[in-house]
Amino acid sequence: MRLLDPLPETDEPDGAIPGDTPLAEVEAAAVGANRLTIRFGAFRDGRGFSLASILRERGYGGELIAAGDLLPDQARHLKRSGFDAVRLNAGADPAEWRAMLAVIDTVYQPASDVAVPVWHRRAAVETLEQKAARLDARYRDADPETVLAAAHREFPGRIAQLSSFGAEAAVSLHLLAQVDPATPVLFLDTGQHFLQTLSYRDKLTARLGLTNVKIVLPDAAERAGEDPKNDMWRSDPDACCDLRKVRPLGRAAAAYDALITGRKRYQATTRERLAVFEVLDGQVRVNPLANLDADEVEARFDDHDLPAHPLADQATLRSVAGPAPARCGRARMPARAAGPAPTRWSAAFT
Amino acid sequence: MYRYDEFDHALVSERIAEFTDQVRRRVDGRLTEDQFKPLRLMNGVYLQLHAYMLRVAVPYGTMNSAQLKKLGHIARVYDKGYGHFTTRTNIQYNWPALSDLPAILTELAEVEMHAIQTSGNCIRNVTTDVFAGATDEEIEDPRPWCEIIRQWSTIHPEFSFLPRKFKIAVIASETDRAAIRTHDVGLQIVRGENGETAFRVFVGGGQGRLPHIAQEIAPAVPGRELLAYLTAILRAYNLLGRRDNIHKARIKILVAALGIDAFREEVERQFETLRHEDLRIPDDELARIQAYFAPPPFETLPKHSGPFDRALLADPDFARWSRNNVRRHRAPGYASAIISLKPVGGVPGDMTADQMDVVAKLARRFSFDEVRAAYEQNLVLPHVKLDDLPEVWRTLHAHGLATANADLVTDVIACPGLDYCSLANARSIPVAQALSKRLADLDFQEKLGPIRVNMSGCINACGHHHVGHIGVLGVDRKGEEFYQITVGGSPDEQAALGEIVGKSLPAEDVAPAIERALNRYLAIRHEGERFIDTVRRTGAEPFREAIYEAA
Ligand code: SF4
Repeated sequence: MRLLDPLPETDEPDGAIPGDTPLAEVEAAAVGANRLTIRFGAFRDGRGFSLASILRERGYGGELIAAGDLLPDQARHLKRSGFDAVRLNAGADPAEWRAMLAVIDTVYQPASDVAVPVWHRRAAVETLEQKAARLDARYRDADPETVLAAAHREFPGRIAQLSSFGAEAAVSLHLLAQVDPATPVLFLDTGQHFLQTLSYRDKLTARLGLTNVKIVLPDAAERAGEDPKNDMWRSDPDACCDLRKVRPLGRAAAAYDALITGRKRYQATTRERLAVFEVLDGQVRVNPLANLDADEVEARFDDHDLPAHPLADQATLRSVAGPAPARCGRARMPARAAGPAPTRWSAAFT
Repeated sequence: MYRYDEFDHALVSERIAEFTDQVRRRVDGRLTEDQFKPLRLMNGVYLQLHAYMLRVAVPYGTMNSAQLKKLGHIARVYDKGYGHFTTRTNIQYNWPALSDLPAILTELAEVEMHAIQTSGNCIRNVTTDVFAGATDEEIEDPRPWCEIIRQWSTIHPEFSFLPRKFKIAVIASETDRAAIRTHDVGLQIVRGENGETAFRVFVGGGQGRLPHIAQEIAPAVPGRELLAYLTAILRAYNLLGRRDNIHKARIKILVAALGIDAFREEVERQFETLRHEDLRIPDDELARIQAYFAPPPFETLPKHSGPFDRALLADPDFARWSRNNVRRHRAPGYASAIISLKPVGGVPGDMTADQMDVVAKLARRFSFDEVRAAYEQNLVLPHVKLDDLPEVWRTLHAHGLATANADLVTDVIACPGLDYCSLANARSIPVAQALSKRLADLDFQEKLGPIRVNMSGCINACGHHHVGHIGVLGVDRKGEEFYQITVGGSPDEQAALGEIVGKSLPAEDVAPAIERALNRYLAIRHEGERFIDTVRRTGAEPFREAIYEAA
């Protein structure tokens, strides 16, 4: 949280919202705003903490500043309620505030900050493999909603979905939108997607109300160095895949403890059971759709009136695990299923 | 019972380190009393009439022997050799030196205790049925849920600066031994759909100047939604509760002003937009906490005990104590024993350091290391073998702890009143003492049966006078201490507020007036009718007459 210098004394209104403003008015003011100041009338008057928490929970993403009669000892409450900054009063001692802000608290309850509540830290004492095994044992027969809700509960703020916005992506993204539409969705833009996929991506994002689709791009420098003529896909598809998919996604995904995929058991190339929670390369993979069969996937399209991928009218496309990058030789993807790195990513995508 | 892990310990040590620094700054003058006040209140330190007072939380009233022993040690080393158990099942020390507070808190932390949130406008210590885990009436042990609420509410970023303090009580049986309807939020565990744990939620109860009985806001909130639902209630209250008048700032006033239906809508509106997933306690965490409260390894015993039955025949004092202070237990051959802190002429709730040591030892030897604080200001040994009761009684008796008056007329709840409290109008302790001396005859008390007499030194009602079957309230009449009497109040599942019978009485008239009311009850009661049932049948009138009969 930042400390802002006191404002110069003037009689001009400073635009701050008084802490006793009704919630509906505060919410109205937040629409489209990228900065809001809430003024605490008295340090004893904790309404501002609830206002901030509610704004954050309802999706306000702009800056939140606390002003007014506040004690340095309230720094933790402000921070945890979702404030980004405090406007100091004239005469306040910034050193006292800084000292309080430097404190790292043990916290029990979830709030609007990044502090990890004790409940989750307790669970984190087990290794990732143990945790995945435990969750898989518990949820192996659960429905997709339950699996995904559990995943969000177990990895709060540390979970993302991988999606290529391919043929069956709508099912998995619809599910995600039901559980938490603000979950990051990592979309790999290889620069080689069909245009239809890109417009489908935008359409689906809007339709499902997903608020956090992140475009993952290959590193420009790496690309210029390794594939200057943009023809590597022809000469060395594996290297192309590594450059355009594996490495960029690896970097983007590193910020998360768990990644949600759209994999289903019936697509698996081996006879092994597809776990709903598993560990791959030090990260948990959550496969909420693992137990669905092709008919159930079809039914979900119908039940929720999900738009089909423009290229998905051929039944084949839908059954193919890989995305449909324009020139990546989509026929080749399933055949490569046994290969190590590329399989990981392509199989994770739908 | 619950045991701290590294995280619980870390949280408490962080608070102590911070408060130690604040005390140091206060002692050397860098903080004024004004600046220090909100900080000390967060740590349970009040400034009373004579000195600072420290209030230590006994979460949901459950202690082990090491904790009670430590409470005794603190009374002995840092105070005047005694402590006072409160109606919030906390313990108060009336004479600690400010400079000793960090040392006291450090000692408390050694036994997993603290004073966090025992004061201030935050969520206070959760209370529950004193027989939790021992009674055969409960659906499940409510204490894991109390512990969950304790953790969730500790240093809550959003709810530490509420309009006013906030009290929650949890029970798990139809019989209400925790007075949940006098709480800001009362929770009763019920069986929801599919037999899941659910909570019947009451809101807006409270005592004080404007007393209210809580109303039902939800019949069965699923356990997994409990924290989300509580968050929604507290949000609605934090945003809408009054802050312009300290006497109208409790949630009861908001609920009464809006009406329960409109308040419910406010809560539901908040509930809808909450991040439920975040607030859902992980199943593993619930299981982890519940495991701490697993029933102790009871032996398989016959229902009857030879030694117990023989002692009943041999010793009439033991027999009387067993009749009045021993309660039925879920395990055959076991019982719960109430240790009355209401000796004749004593201060209700006071206990000496030596007595704490004695009870701690008894708990370790005879009650699976558990002892409870009851909101009626008594202690309870929850799991004692019938075989052991004679020995437990002998030890209690030897230390002045075997008063056989649990739930009888001299088992008086009384706040500290003008002897200690800076808000008081009148003393409550001497009036309670006078009553207990006047009615000391236990034969008479047994004849009267269960009667709850509650006394407060002012309208803040810390002594629960509104819900006493007989209530006594200290008022100030032109600078003199007077006492207003109510009858017909009740704290339980049939909660009701007492009716004021008439103008207030001087201190010396209180005990005789109550005695006359009690005699009237004996004269008009039906066969087997308890005092409160007679009042409900006849109304206050006969008692009013008796109380104001020319003395
Ligand atoms: S009821 Fe009044 S006198 Fe008694 S403890 Fe409470 S505030 Fe003090």
